[in-house]
Amino acid sequence: MSWHVIAPLLVALVTAVLTLVLRAWPRIQVAASVAGVVGYVAAVAGSVWTVVLGPTAPGVAVYQVGNWPAPFGITLVLDGLSAFMLTIAASLGLASMLFSVRYMIAENQRVYYHPLFHLLLVGVSGAFLTGDLFNLFVWFEVMLIVSYVFVAFYGTELATAASFRYLTMNVFGSALMLVAVGGLYAATGTLNMADMARRLADPAAYGVDPAPVVGLSALLLAVFALKAGLVPFQFWVPAAYTTAPPPVTAMFAGVTKKVGMYAVVRLYFTVFAAGSVSADVPGIAGTSPLAFLAPVLGAMAIASIAVGAFGAVGQDRLEGVFAYSSIGQVGFIALPIAVAAAAGPAGTLRRVAIAAALVYAFHHALTKGLLFLSAAVVKDAVGTDDLRNLGGLAGRSPVLAGAVLIGLLSLVGIPPLIGFFGKFLTFDAAVRGLGFGPGALSALALAASLIGAVLTILYATRVWVGGFWGPKTPAVEVAAADSGQIAVVAALAAVVVLVGVGFDPVYRFAETAANAAVDSEAYVDAVGLGGGGGR
Amino acid sequence: MSVALAVVVGGLFAVGTFLLLRRDLIRVVLGIAALSQGTFVYLISMGGVEEGTGDLVPVLGHHGGGVPEVADPVVQALVLTAIVISFGTTALALVLSYRAYEENETMDVTEWTG
Repeated sequence: MSWHVIAPLLVALVTAVLTLVLRAWPRIQVAASVAGVVGYVAAVAGSVWTVVLGPTAPGVAVYQVGNWPAPFGITLVLDGLSAFMLTIAASLGLASMLFSVRYMIAENQRVYYHPLFHLLLVGVSGAFLTGDLFNLFVWFEVMLIVSYVFVAFYGTELATAASFRYLTMNVFGSALMLVAVGGLYAATGTLNMADMARRLADPAAYGVDPAPVVGLSALLLAVFALKAGLVPFQFWVPAAYTTAPPPVTAMFAGVTKKVGMYAVVRLYFTVFAAGSVSADVPGIAGTSPLAFLAPVLGAMAIASIAVGAFGAVGQDRLEGVFAYSSIGQVGFIALPIAVAAAAGPAGTLRRVAIAAALVYAFHHALTKGLLFLSAAVVKDAVGTDDLRNLGGLAGRSPVLAGAVLIGLLSLVGIPPLIGFFGKFLTFDAAVRGLGFGPGALSALALAASLIGAVLTILYATRVWVGGFWGPKTPAVEVAAADSGQIAVVAALAAVVVLVGVGFDPVYRFAETAANAAVDSEAYVDAVGLGGGGGR
Repeated sequence: MSVALAVVVGGLFAVGTFLLLRRDLIRVVLGIAALSQGTFVYLISMGGVEEGTGDLVPVLGHHGGGVPEVADPVVQALVLTAIVISFGTTALALVLSYRAYEENETMDVTEWTG
């Protein structure tokens, strides 16, 4: 029983309630909200240090809700992978909240902005921490309902339409997820992830038929790909991202998108990896859900990179460029995961590839967060973020331009910024993957990453040349950016540089997370299925 | 019984999908509701709908030993949770469709400006 596991969740929940109670006193509410997000960062840092990174850390901690033993009650697990994802959520959450306070007009901050923001953190933390399949669905819903409201937040025609479409699609996704969860419960007789992993590893001993698991896991993949915005489920991304309040868009791109990728890694590598089925499906040579995951996720990732990059090149608004770029970038995160799925359980490739995906996720959260927030500064100062009306911002606000330049360079992958390591490790995983399993996947992955990288340079250059260089347009001439907003953006840019320069600890953290993701035996042991009593 | 449930689930999914593809906003919301109902019936049926025996409760059957003749309580708890979430989502969808109606003065999605 460890309180460290639920500390972040509790802090975010208490803050959400507190800010709701304090809504009559806006100044106090904002103060409480900022204090709450700082508390969230502290709680995550404390938990991660005590459980995963510290010198005497056990590596994994478990909280059984209501003290019910593992397979029956609800289990929350904090291990390396969850810790890594929580760190991403905390770092971007802090930046985004500080930025919101300066960016959102006071009237809007009174309209439930702060409680919703913290509920988003609650949903995200819950999804990262839960060790129970049905609760994963519940936390997804918490996160999604908040997202619908945020997409509709400005109440314009575009926002309402985007929110309604986003809602309809996600309800469909949730229905599919329920079907998959129900099917998995019927097939394995449990909802606890650790218990499920144990049963799938030894199906004969528990009387489980693992064959349906492959199909049900495929259903789950579709749901998670929808949450992550992978092609062919990417069409909601641009509308939702451009209509939500910009600081929240940074959270969407940086954190909630990653929840889908986290769920893929957690379920496929920790839970389903143990299962083996001699399925005789043409075109898929393999005996487990992972063998199915590799080609499908690989194809989705490659398509995402292409769609995202080509879409971004054609956009005129900064937010549009970055929203499409997000589709491409999540492809770059999915690619090493597909390579990891193709690799055998023995050897280091699987771990290296997952670590690469995690580093890329961290890079994308920081960099894309920085870029979305910068786009918001531009929009606030100039009144538009349309590249055709921008120009010469570098002369008008050198600090902002410097931060954007760092963000764009990181996106392109220039050393020593964090983006370089993300790209480098992804290429590394793809090259190493050439020698494993279906080498064609890795070869395609390599080609797609190269094309994606080149197109990234293209649209990054376009943003820089179109918005920041050249003569100042009349709108830019009179623009006055808020210094508080610029300070947050500059601080985030400094973090992008610092994390890149001092990359070693980050990589070791990602390695720990990847080890935790693939070590399902340790996960099962930690959860301690004492109440099961075997068969 | 299983056949009847399978027909119900299939029917609800069919109706839900059909309504989801309509142009009228209210029908889309009704489609959302029907689709969710389909998954609830499906979830219940996953616990077994025959007369209660120990074998019908996967979580007990696999973990315990001598179990009483009960229907599976886990799926009922799951369905209850899912229904609550679905109510919330459907209410929000209705609010959004009203809002969309106010803005566009039409319930037809194809006539939306957004």
